[in-house]
Amino acid sequence: MSVLEARDVSIAFNGFYAVRNVDFALHEGTIHAVIGPNGAGKTTLFNLLTKFLQPTGGSVYYRGQDITGEGPAAIARRGVVRSFQISAVFQGLTVRENIELALLRRSNLQWRLVGHARRNTDLVRRADEILAQFGFDREADTAAANLSYGRKRVLELATTIAMDPDVLLLDEPMAGLGREDIDRVAELILEAAQGRTVLLVEHNMQVVSRLAERITVMVRGEVLTEGSYDEVSKRPEVIAAYTGGGH
Amino acid sequence: MTTIFGIPAALLFGQLLLGLINGAFYATLSLGLAVIFGMMNIANFAHGALYMMGAVGAWFLLDAFGVGYWTSLFLCPLLVGIVGILLERLILRRVSHLDHLYGMLLTFGLALIIQGLFRFAFGSSGLPYAIPEALSGGTNLGFMFLPHYRGWVILVALVICFATWYAIEKTRLGAYLRAATENPALVQAFGINVPAMIMFTYGAGAALAAFAGVLAAPILQVSPTMGADLLIVIFAVVVIGGLGSIKGAIVAGFSAGILEGLTKAFYPEASTTVVFVLMALVLLIWPAGLFGSKTQSASTSVVLPALANETSLMRWALFAAMALSLAVAPVFVYPAFLMKAMTYALFACAFNLMAGYGRLVSFGHAMFIGTAGYVTAYVIKGWGFPPELAILAGTASASLLGLVAGWLSTRSSGVYFAMISLALAQMIYFVALQAPFTGGEDGIQSVPRGVLFGLFDLSDPAVLYVFVLLVFLGGFLFIAALVRSPFGQILKAIREHEPRARSLGFSTEHYKLAVFVISATLSGLAGSMKVLVTQIASLTDVHWLMSGEVILMTFLGGVGTLYGPVVGAFVVVAMQNYLAALGAWVSVIHGAIFVVCILAFRRGIVGELISYVSARQARSVAAGTRADAPDVVARRLKAGA
Ligand SMILES: Nc1ncnc2c1ncn2[C@@H]1O[C@H](COP(=O)(O)OP(=O)(O)OP(=O)(O)O)[C@@H](O)[C@H]1O
Ligand SMILES: [Mg+2]
Repeated sequence: MSVLEARDVSIAFNGFYAVRNVDFALHEGTIHAVIGPNGAGKTTLFNLLTKFLQPTGGSVYYRGQDITGEGPAAIARRGVVRSFQISAVFQGLTVRENIELALLRRSNLQWRLVGHARRNTDLVRRADEILAQFGFDREADTAAANLSYGRKRVLELATTIAMDPDVLLLDEPMAGLGREDIDRVAELILEAAQGRTVLLVEHNMQVVSRLAERITVMVRGEVLTEGSYDEVSKRPEVIAAYTGGGH
Repeated sequence: MTTIFGIPAALLFGQLLLGLINGAFYATLSLGLAVIFGMMNIANFAHGALYMMGAVGAWFLLDAFGVGYWTSLFLCPLLVGIVGILLERLILRRVSHLDHLYGMLLTFGLALIIQGLFRFAFGSSGLPYAIPEALSGGTNLGFMFLPHYRGWVILVALVICFATWYAIEKTRLGAYLRAATENPALVQAFGINVPAMIMFTYGAGAALAAFAGVLAAPILQVSPTMGADLLIVIFAVVVIGGLGSIKGAIVAGFSAGILEGLTKAFYPEASTTVVFVLMALVLLIWPAGLFGSKTQSASTSVVLPALANETSLMRWALFAAMALSLAVAPVFVYPAFLMKAMTYALFACAFNLMAGYGRLVSFGHAMFIGTAGYVTAYVIKGWGFPPELAILAGTASASLLGLVAGWLSTRSSGVYFAMISLALAQMIYFVALQAPFTGGEDGIQSVPRGVLFGLFDLSDPAVLYVFVLLVFLGGFLFIAALVRSPFGQILKAIREHEPRARSLGFSTEHYKLAVFVISATLSGLAGSMKVLVTQIASLTDVHWLMSGEVILMTFLGGVGTLYGPVVGAFVVVAMQNYLAALGAWVSVIHGAIFVVCILAFRRGIVGELISYVSARQARSVAAGTRADAPDVVARRLKAGA
């Protein structure tokens, strides 16, 4: 069954189609990758699926329900949580506060105007667990701004997982990471994928081949082809797209 | 005599002509604003001052050197254009790499300085300027009489508008300009000097404003304050047209003028507010204005001084110190001054809640303190309400206004938000000026203080002082708790990275609206208290200068810090008290402080203090424990030595 589905979605910026007539389905429990050259429309597709952009045509479905009219926050509350291509952590908050924030959303404290989140023991315990799971126990009270780039990406992943999402959309989670970080983050993604559906955009083909069961190739705003890594990587049109020949 | 809808035709056409003329000025001025905004992303608050420089400059050139209208029409824009270029090169450029908000605040400070200096040099009464010989007289068109000069204004404005539109949309230079607004780095890589382009664009915008000023000199009142009020109408026009849209500026400018003229004919009482009402309606339907496509991208955030390493003991100690010193202060300082400063401090704290923690810098916060003040004064004087109910009524009215204004404005952010809030506040100002129950220019005076809860007689100065002190401390504590609450954390997160907050499932617009309403409510509380203290509700409280003052207090003291607004409010109120004798210079000094504060110590007094202390802490910890393992250092830091 498809958890997230785009039917015939398009979006144009001043007449330029960044995504055009794309049909795309994300199946429950899979790790699915979207690849394609720079500017292919991968991030834009993410934005359309999570409604950070409103499609100019077509519709988006979550578990069969039309969510085209919903806003990004509402979609996140359904359990479709995304990360960003450029690391998105709350710089001025500490690592712990970043995690707590995701937990707050799922608690009933979010409209509490006085008092402190720290007083809620469940929340604190859950935050501790996540901090430990991602190796942040020592950095818990550091401002996120002071983390290294790699650690920021891990923190972003940790916050995303703290939301306990149903579907995770990761936009280039490996961008800017060093070798050993890549391996660690790949492990974390595999771990997080247990019982969840993951969609990721990634340029690192080793990572894609290792993680993804299914791959969609996008070029110039359109879906070129879809299949397993081995199938896709052999197709001449994919090679042509990557070597700049177009299709 | 012919009538149209019961209005004499001559009157109708007369007003229509006047409207068209105003529209011509609106269009020319908003055009300059749009060009500058497109290039630099700042709402140029100095635009009114530049326009005024054109008009007063023309008067001065004639008065001192006998330079005539036609020469001035070229000379003034040239000179003012050079001033614009200098302002950009020497001042605005210094903050161009920061949040555009700072640029906007700088232009605000510059406007205050320029206007103050001109008031000092030329007084504030009107300066007469004659219509040039060649354009005096008029022609009877049959249905109406058209003075030649007015025809000329409309004609020349149309030509200027068209020429500017053509230059930007249809020429190669315009293409570069547009490309540079989209992607400055790329255009720079083509070998085009983008900083110089920005400089000349600002100069051109300034020249355009001055040109409008010279055009206006013979028919509108020439005075150093002529630009200030006009500017706010222009902002509303630009918002209607869509920020940064040239076409929008022109269309909205002329439409606004005509609409205003028609309103004057049919329902004169509403003529000053109609443009703002139109703006509100347009925003309801098209949040980005008629032709606005450019939604404000979230720019890099203003870095707040981090209040790291503080313990709850420290927090309470600080608070106790403040409470105690305020409690004993009346022994040494004039209590009236202290009470006034405390109400403003509460106001500034409320403003800071939004500006600092919500990153919504409103330029219209006066509407809340002012409205609450009027309501409080009115229910006491008119209906004999006891003070507690009057405060409640005043505060509630501010909340309600906050709900409406917040709903209209929080859908935008950054510069757009600032301009919308300013325009909404100006609408309230005009309502206050004209409504039957506000006492017009006089305001509502000698409001009795009454007996609080039937027990505490507020006409006793000591009782009043204690009451004001308690309300201030209560408000302060509430804000302090709010900032640290889950709600406050979410606000901070939204400030830091709004898309991320949304991707975590927070409906950020609800939080922004909520903080807007809370801020409005607390501002209203300050307004009600102010009426009890000063016993008067007047137009100055709803004037845009009041909105400017609260921004000054907050930024001077330290935006985003808890104590900053308090410090800022005391400094500004003290300045007002002790510098009142200097007259026009007060506004110059205010402006200068603004500029210096933005250029040299953006974090404000308290913010700089915090940074200094944290830096020293970090250094001493690092020096003392170089041999320690990093986690020991971290733990010490956490303990907050
Ligand atoms: N808001 C926007 N306005 C105008 N054009 C846009 C906008 N967002 C994306 N585009 C354009 O749409 C195209 C697709 O962009 P997108 O970011 O989706 O590419 P991508 O596949 O994610 O590329 P990359 O691998 O570099 O991240 C690009 O040409 C981009 O310039
Ligand atoms: Mg991308």
